[in-house]
Amino acid sequence: MALPLPPGLTQPEVAFLAEMELVTIVPRQRLESIALLSGSTPPLRPPHRADLPLWLALLLKKQRRANIVPPPWLHPTSLSEIITRETKDNPDAFSDPPPPISRAHPSQPGRARRLAESEAGLSPPFVPSCTAEAPAGYLPYHWLEVAEALLAHAGDDMPVAAGEVRSLLRDLVEVRAAKMRSSTGTLEMFGGGLTSLRGVGAMELAESRGFVLGVVDGVRKLGASAEATRREEEEAGGGQGASDDDESDEDMGL
Amino acid sequence: MSYYDIDSILTDAEKIPCTFQLDVPELGYLDNNPGQTLKAGARVALPLWLAELLAITSAGGSDDQTKSYVAFDLPPALRNDVVQALKAEPLAVPLRDQSAHFYSLATHMMDLSEEPELSTTLRKTFVKRAAEIALHARKLGGGAGKGDEGSNLGVGGAGEEFLRGLDEWERRLFRKAHDGTKAGKEWMEKIKKY
Repeated sequence: MALPLPPGLTQPEVAFLAEMELVTIVPRQRLESIALLSGSTPPLRPPHRADLPLWLALLLKKQRRANIVPPPWLHPTSLSEIITRETKDNPDAFSDPPPPISRAHPSQPGRARRLAESEAGLSPPFVPSCTAEAPAGYLPYHWLEVAEALLAHAGDDMPVAAGEVRSLLRDLVEVRAAKMRSSTGTLEMFGGGLTSLRGVGAMELAESRGFVLGVVDGVRKLGASAEATRREEEEAGGGQGASDDDESDEDMGL
Repeated sequence: MSYYDIDSILTDAEKIPCTFQLDVPELGYLDNNPGQTLKAGARVALPLWLAELLAITSAGGSDDQTKSYVAFDLPPALRNDVVQALKAEPLAVPLRDQSAHFYSLATHMMDLSEEPELSTTLRKTFVKRAAEIALHARKLGGGAGKGDEGSNLGVGGAGEEFLRGLDEWERRLFRKAHDGTKAGKEWMEKIKKY
């Protein structure tokens, strides 16, 4: 009650967590492996790419010791593809999260298969979804945070002008925010109220959590009395229907 | 509804019209008749907490016909014409003019007497208006400090009018939606500075 923070993660917390995402960099200097709490970083050898946590990559980028390779889904073609999907193809749902990792089938060349979680050893939040190997056309969980950080600090590493990516990103944010708002519309009827939030990013959740929870809570309070009478009726109806096997009920009671 | 919930306390103070079912001596001052007996059938507006107690406790009497002290009607805020207007166009009704605690009053009344239709209508109203509230909360975005920043597209005087008509529940909802958007904006500003 005294805790001033709203339930769930706040935006700064989400942004902090997003800094653990791995991104791919092209180092300009050699750097030996650093032992971090989250594991040692790969040793950096200049022409070879390496995956580093976002915070370290940004640090190196600011010191001009590395360039960041933006993830494929941040490319304008991928972004506009997602926007088309969100607005035209499937205007009611959020676009899907990235598919599970697939790997080439060793015995059947040319065939890929999806790895089960146990095989890959990683489940979605820990799958490297912002590296150069990430699939294009899918938004990972921390898409907005990583995209904003990269645009703010590594705008010159973008394959195209950062302004273009930024405006596409703005469009996408607006489209998805509108969906988030209208997602509460399903609560209008009794019995409705299923809202799929599949594919929604962490930052969007942090932004809309208060509102969506508020609406759901309000609807719950408004429906409480009707729900109570419905239950009573159901119980009364159930009681009549079950009058035949009263004995078995009593047995259960014992 | 916590004991210290100020909105719940204020809701309890809302007046609802009641009809006394029996004579009460010395209570005439309630009906501008000091010193007289309050006659059965007198219509008096009582605060919700009192009306609720008087309506559910029985006034004794013989066993087969126990009467309660008062019978209550729906408060003016939930009159039929208001509900009809809400059914027609939820966004056009300034709920705050009806009652500042419109929804909590309504839920309270629905607890006391069964109003299945009212419940459905209010649910639709709440959800419809919630979507509009979220839109306004986002549009007003920049908000604190920066004044109107040209992002008030399409939310002119009409929007202001609508926002003035929000009841307490909706105000809280607006606040939540607005806080979320604002925190998002702040984070976006900060990420550039680091």
